[in-house]
Amino acid sequence: MIWYNDLNDGIILSTRIRLARNIDKTPFPSRLKDKTKVREMLSDSILKSNSTLSKDFTLYELSKLSQSEKTAMTEEHLISPQMINDNEGAVLVNKDKTMSIMLMEEDHIRLQIIKGGYALDEAYDLADKVDDVMEESLTYAFDEKFGYLTACPTNAGTGMRASVMMHLPALVMTGNISRVLQSFSGMGIAVRGMYGEGTNADGALYQISNSITLGLSEQEIIEKLKVVVNKISDMEKQAREMLMNNRKDDFTDKLMRSYGILKYAVKITSQEAKTMLSEVMLAQNMGIIECNGKMTPLELMIKSAPSVIGGKDNLSPDERDKKRAELIRENL
Amino acid sequence: MDLFSELFGMLDGFDNLYSVNAMSKGSKACPVCGMTYNEFSRTGKFGCSECYKTFEGEAERVLRQIHSSSVHSGKIPSKSGAEVKAKRRLNDLRKKLKEAVANEDYETAAKLHSEIKEIEGGLK
Repeated sequence: MIWYNDLNDGIILSTRIRLARNIDKTPFPSRLKDKTKVREMLSDSILKSNSTLSKDFTLYELSKLSQSEKTAMTEEHLISPQMINDNEGAVLVNKDKTMSIMLMEEDHIRLQIIKGGYALDEAYDLADKVDDVMEESLTYAFDEKFGYLTACPTNAGTGMRASVMMHLPALVMTGNISRVLQSFSGMGIAVRGMYGEGTNADGALYQISNSITLGLSEQEIIEKLKVVVNKISDMEKQAREMLMNNRKDDFTDKLMRSYGILKYAVKITSQEAKTMLSEVMLAQNMGIIECNGKMTPLELMIKSAPSVIGGKDNLSPDERDKKRAELIRENL
Repeated sequence: MDLFSELFGMLDGFDNLYSVNAMSKGSKACPVCGMTYNEFSRTGKFGCSECYKTFEGEAERVLRQIHSSSVHSGKIPSKSGAEVKAKRRLNDLRKKLKEAVANEDYETAAKLHSEIKEIEGGLK
């Protein structure tokens, strides 16, 4: 099931494991002249393998995808934003879109498992298995001391980035978020907004991930990340309880008003939509509102981003705001 | 050790810390991808896996800065890492052997010793 439809407690929304791998004795993509040959060898390692995986994956060459198809894949986190303007790379995606293998991104291989809810161990086990299948026909660039060798030294060693997407609206509303996140700096953990680098986390969505990839084993990295994620999750729960116990009327009024606006607005900006959808998501998780629409608030947040709403038709900002309001009205 | 070699040793240390003699180092190029050290320090990215060997000292310094470690302890690929796996197993066994001897558990020590010999034989 695609990650944004499989949420658990509404705080830890999704889990991602990414492994960076490169082929031995072959320049990394940025310095590789003939990418096609190497790319075919990489995709063959899955598509022509004896594993059942070979039938589960489909290959998409970026040069054959339209701009709007690539944008949609970015929003679903199946390709990286850098790949939108790339015509030499490719991506292998499995049927339920929980696995994507980006080829010729910054590294030859970026293998990614993305699952709904909190599933770090499960996601790593799967990544580990797919990695083994690919290695059967490939020779990885690996050094006894430095581990898996990657284009950027920030990924060397395990090549693994484990990350969890968290929804932390109560910590944002109570003004505690920066203090909470700062308390974890210096622990080899990075926090960023869902829509890329920087501190701006629209919709109270935060990605918590390991920044250290070398010197610890994959399991140690995951255990460290879990400690931090569990702590943040407890704090968010406490903040929610506090809001409900001490300021119930103001709090529920704010959430219900957001629901009302989303249900009836004719025009809505991306910023406003994200904030309000985040509040409705919170209200739904806390049992204050029941949303029976065709899409979850999180899915609407993804599908109402400017790049997705604009799609291939060149809409003006005003037209986008109308189209966004309509999408939300009909599906919330 | 005389005064001169001590001084040179000190300079080498500085060199590793600050990469001062940028002239000779900067133009050193990777034989596989042609990446120079100057390019690496400008972009912060390597051109191929061989760059890690070509610029080993710098790579180690950068990795230590980022990760506070420069020694991998995670997964080892089964094909290109068979030897590494054996070496890691040897290190584990040697550690256990030391412990067994310290605890005067000579029976375990003897078992560990023969296991070590066996792996060492395979590596030669």
